[in-house]
Amino acid sequence: MVCGAALAAGDGPPLPPSGFLGTWNVEGKPRLFPGSELYAHIDGGAEIFFEFGFEEATVQRYRSPNGEVVVERYTMSDPLAALGIYLGKCGKETPDPGFAERHTAGRFQLMFVRDRYFVIVNDPAGTPALTSVLVEFARSIASCVPESRPVTVFDALPKQGQIEGSLRLIRGPVALEAIATLGRGDILQLRRRTAAVAADYSDAGGKYTVIIATYPDAQAAAAAFRNLADNLDPEIKPVASTETRLVFRDYDGTFGTASLAARRLELRLRLRQEPPLK
Amino acid sequence: MSRSHISMDVIFEMNRREFVRTATGCTAAAGALMLGVPASAQEKEAAPDVTTNIAEFLKVPRTRHSLPGPFPGRVVKVTDPRSLVDERVDGKVVAEMVERGIRTLTGTSMKKSFQMFFTRDDVVGLKVNPVGPPLISTKPEIAEAVIRWLVDNKLPIRNIVIWDRFDLDLKDAGFTPSRFPGVRIQALQTMVEEGHSFRDAGGNHISAGSFDLDVYYLAKGVVGKGVRGYQDDEFYLNQHVFAGEYSYFGKLLTRDITKLVNLAAYKNTGNGISMATKNVGYAAVCNTGRLHAPLGFKVCTEVLAAPVVRDKLVLNITDGLRGQYEGGPDKNEKFVYPNRSLYFATDPFALDALCHRELVAKRKEMGIAVNEHPRFTEYLNYAEKLGLGVVDPAKIALVRA
Repeated sequence: MVCGAALAAGDGPPLPPSGFLGTWNVEGKPRLFPGSELYAHIDGGAEIFFEFGFEEATVQRYRSPNGEVVVERYTMSDPLAALGIYLGKCGKETPDPGFAERHTAGRFQLMFVRDRYFVIVNDPAGTPALTSVLVEFARSIASCVPESRPVTVFDALPKQGQIEGSLRLIRGPVALEAIATLGRGDILQLRRRTAAVAADYSDAGGKYTVIIATYPDAQAAAAAFRNLADNLDPEIKPVASTETRLVFRDYDGTFGTASLAARRLELRLRLRQEPPLK
Repeated sequence: MSRSHISMDVIFEMNRREFVRTATGCTAAAGALMLGVPASAQEKEAAPDVTTNIAEFLKVPRTRHSLPGPFPGRVVKVTDPRSLVDERVDGKVVAEMVERGIRTLTGTSMKKSFQMFFTRDDVVGLKVNPVGPPLISTKPEIAEAVIRWLVDNKLPIRNIVIWDRFDLDLKDAGFTPSRFPGVRIQALQTMVEEGHSFRDAGGNHISAGSFDLDVYYLAKGVVGKGVRGYQDDEFYLNQHVFAGEYSYFGKLLTRDITKLVNLAAYKNTGNGISMATKNVGYAAVCNTGRLHAPLGFKVCTEVLAAPVVRDKLVLNITDGLRGQYEGGPDKNEKFVYPNRSLYFATDPFALDALCHRELVAKRKEMGIAVNEHPRFTEYLNYAEKLGLGVVDPAKIALVRA
């Protein structure tokens, strides 16, 4: 699909105009939520957008004799920010074969990511007959967005044993908290700039989680390691440590490690057996 | 997506000082390094305890309607596979479930149950959760069933109020005058949209008059200025009406409603839940944005300890027809599942304790590596210590009906 006649709304790519697919007309003005005004739209979920890097959201309603569609378009600061939001929301992806972008489609919502845009196309009524309409809306919007560049940040994670659909991006405490409570504040000192990657794994020893943060330099990585070691959550008990490795027992009796190597800090969490300090 | 209450666990956990430091991000960090102060030294600062007026609440003598009500620790779960078929809620089946749940909870008839909780002079507020319609908001069919019960027992329909804190979402969730003729549908406050002033001629928020300046939740030293995400204090004021140390209760609660029925949704918020106690705890008062960082879920306990809630909240029904186990509190179809259950309790803390455990089990079943850190349930233990509810699993009686 080629980006064609479209409705200008906010700073992002154009949205479909009235008459889209013949019967879908714009209902009301687009609602714009720049910066902190995102709270007015998603009060309970705005923090993660801010942490990854948020610029503006646009919400536009459409109506046709067949129903209603609501488009939410989130302009993030960069493609990784948009991907981070998407990965936190997509769950196990269920793509529609008619749409090529990275997305997941359901009866009520289709969400996709392309370049620095995260988009949700909603059918509030969940009408089965409208699932193809959601796809058409998504295709139209995606056609007006530059193509996503290949993402290499996940290459840092081991492939073997990785559980499908468990990839996560972390840029600060909000995203980290969803995975683990390691300590107060920005305990890994990601400062919204360093993107850590995470995934769940399964092997003979059971399931565990790996988080890898690659810092701008070795000094920053070492500072983050020290901050973690010095400020572990009170429910976490250190078992053993060296200058570059920490073994700890978590609140639930499982074990974890933090290992420092040059610019890289690697954490392994929810380990069933106490790992060696080596 | 739509309105809900800020709820990210980490935001709850971070103290205000950390909050401001993180909000300024790399600037603050760089500043610390330039001053020669390692960031880790700053991180070591202990989170200060916030002084609130909980002691004042506890001084007020309890009434016969005070939490946890006549059935501490008792939770009734009613499940009916006919209640949600092909994503459609069956109002008739839901009405049957509501009756079965109330009768099982109280052990008596609907008429005597009414008399247990209400008089015909009461003004009954139904606190709904309109966020995320239609997937995960309170279903109107449940409100209809409760209203029918109240009216059948001669409560004037004009004495019933469906309410929420904000006015934006009630309509989208189906709580409209046309669907509920004769019932008042009311929000505590409005938020003025882009390009319009939220101030009246006197410079006050247009909803300021909706809050009772004599009845408040005080969090000393915690103000709604410069709160993370609200770089613009004017925007904070638009959303929160006031920005000082006080979160005032809505006049609807303090002067109008005499009994409260809590119709919560069944969903997660991060690693915790956003169900019965949060549906009221973060909605009965204004100026809540400032509270998330230093107090978090504790607000859900302390606001419910306020006599204006504690002595009026007589019944809690959690709408678990659908559940959302991840991605909450915003709606996310990927994590919504048919649960086809309603939960009943006079004790909202027992109800939340049980539903929290259920939701954690569901998350594990769905393959999520769940963070079960104890602090996500500390507020429930705190409520038990205050005598507001029973949360010890050994003491909770789950009755299936």
